[in-house]
Amino acid sequence: MAEVFHLKTPLLESINMSKRVGTTVYLKMENAQPSGSFKIRGIGHLCQQLARHSKGVICSSGGNAGMAAAYAAQKMGVPATIIVPSSTPPLVVQRLHDQGATVRIAGKVWDDANTEALKLAETEGLTYVPPFDHPLLWEGHASMIAEVTASLGPSVKPGAVVVSVGGGGLLCGVIQGLKDVGWTDVPIVAMETVGAHCFNAAIKAGKLVTLDDITSEAKCLGAKTACKQAFDYSQSSELTIISELVTDQQALHAIQTFLDEERVLVEMACGAALAAVYSGVIVRLQNEGRLPALMGPLLMIVCGGSTINMEQLTNLKHKLQS
Amino acid sequence: LDQPVEMKTQQDLHVATPVRESLALTKLAGTSIYLKLDSSQPTGSFKIRGLGHLCKTAKRGYERFVCCSGGNAGMAAAYSARKLGVPATIIVPNVTPNITVEKMRDEGATVIIHGKLAFVYKGKATHLWRSSKELEHDLKEKPGAIVLSVGGGGLLNGVVEGLRRANWADVPVVAMETMGAHSLHAAMEAGEHVTLPAITSVATTLGVAKVSAQTMKLSQEHPILSEVVTDQEAVKAVERFVDDEKILVEPACGAALAAVYSGIITRLRDERKLPQHLGPVVIVVCGGNNISLEQLDKLKKQLGII
Repeated sequence: MAEVFHLKTPLLESINMSKRVGTTVYLKMENAQPSGSFKIRGIGHLCQQLARHSKGVICSSGGNAGMAAAYAAQKMGVPATIIVPSSTPPLVVQRLHDQGATVRIAGKVWDDANTEALKLAETEGLTYVPPFDHPLLWEGHASMIAEVTASLGPSVKPGAVVVSVGGGGLLCGVIQGLKDVGWTDVPIVAMETVGAHCFNAAIKAGKLVTLDDITSEAKCLGAKTACKQAFDYSQSSELTIISELVTDQQALHAIQTFLDEERVLVEMACGAALAAVYSGVIVRLQNEGRLPALMGPLLMIVCGGSTINMEQLTNLKHKLQS
Repeated sequence: LDQPVEMKTQQDLHVATPVRESLALTKLAGTSIYLKLDSSQPTGSFKIRGLGHLCKTAKRGYERFVCCSGGNAGMAAAYSARKLGVPATIIVPNVTPNITVEKMRDEGATVIIHGKLAFVYKGKATHLWRSSKELEHDLKEKPGAIVLSVGGGGLLNGVVEGLRRANWADVPVVAMETMGAHSLHAAMEAGEHVTLPAITSVATTLGVAKVSAQTMKLSQEHPILSEVVTDQEAVKAVERFVDDEKILVEPACGAALAAVYSGIITRLRDERKLPQHLGPVVIVVCGGNNISLEQLDKLKKQLGII
């Protein structure tokens, strides 16, 4: 039986968030995963399926998908090459090296790095690991919802799920997971930052669109185009997906608050989801009648992310709070 | 005591926590370092394991839980009580921060602030530490050593019990304390169950002047390497750990992490007290509630680290 690379993560009740929202808030602590984020679920699964006898894997990533791919590859004894955009912090590049990967820098944003990765996959015969746009990834990510049902017990169903959206991989995985357990009626609050809002832009345009640039500091949300599956889900009458935006300042405030109250440091990308509570988005949605006033527990996916440290946090404060 | 209170839940009050390799600490130590993330327990520390178990298996006929602790045990008791649907009273010393009192009240507990208490700690050896099963499952190989912090010794007692149940009774425990809260070290040096004259460490949650009798007994039966670090080392470890693993822990937990950050594992291997060919070293990240960035800053200033 193929080894699984991700771990079952804790589901913790947050008293402080629950107080703010007026219903129990559960945190799915994906920051506790090896490689630091939920990505190892989907990428681990994909690598097991596609890369077992591979010459090597290649992944384009602003950090976390790369970390997950490097980790999975190392476990499988297969070489890993990670292509990162120039916006990637040096600490991330170092980490990738520490995980045994070869790192190359290409382009300014993820889309550029991805073009390069696809090219090299072909010319060098490597297994391309997409960071968010593949059914095997979504199948892998879906495992987190099954875990949640086990933790909550048979009589508890979330009132809503909150996720961050970059390219939409997590969103698609969560939806897959909800489908697997028969919870397709649970609304999903899909959070992005302004300046990395490709999903929101697509919904507003009524079709997939490509942002001109990523101007948010939440670099790990920085896909210019959402994946098609995410967009298709947004158009489905079967699902309730509420797309909301927060500013970089709100995402930063969220990660600071989370560090103080829950003692875990997460990235800006994760902060986008946390801001749904800390910046009153959930309460507003309830007031607007888009979420029920008396709601079952809120499931917050703490996606994690390792492209953050105290120095980065200070830099972000200087950049965003002046 | 008329009607027994109906216990609300049959599920465990603690959660199974991940064991994952730390890239940063492995690199530093030059040997494989794994982290048992008990910082990710409900109420933020491993205490919920033992206290949760204790509360759940408490005999029927009890109307209320009472706990004396201004720290993590109190939080764990308050949480357990809420989950089990039992009222709780937590008695805390007046040095307990307001925010901790508030957190306990948020859990629905009655909190009584009672002056400066001398707590009598009973390190319950009956703490069932199922995390050894979790370790076996997640680690897939026998650990080379377990590194943990020692306050009263409850965690150590539970870990050794777990190791014995897993047939890993020869796995050494590196027992870390801070200077000024080093009750185990003092006792082992003296060869008798001594009491520290005072707790002078900032790691107040390690602040038990006399280690539990069970711990004393185990120090004679189980391979235990007792090591002491300064407050500065413990707090520096806390700071580096936030950067390396994105988790903010108390100085009490920093003491355990200092085993790597202060090169103690390396030294123990050089001294042949730990083997050169060492299996994975597992650090119990016990966690702890009583810490924030602001508190970390204050501690750094207090200890002259800034």
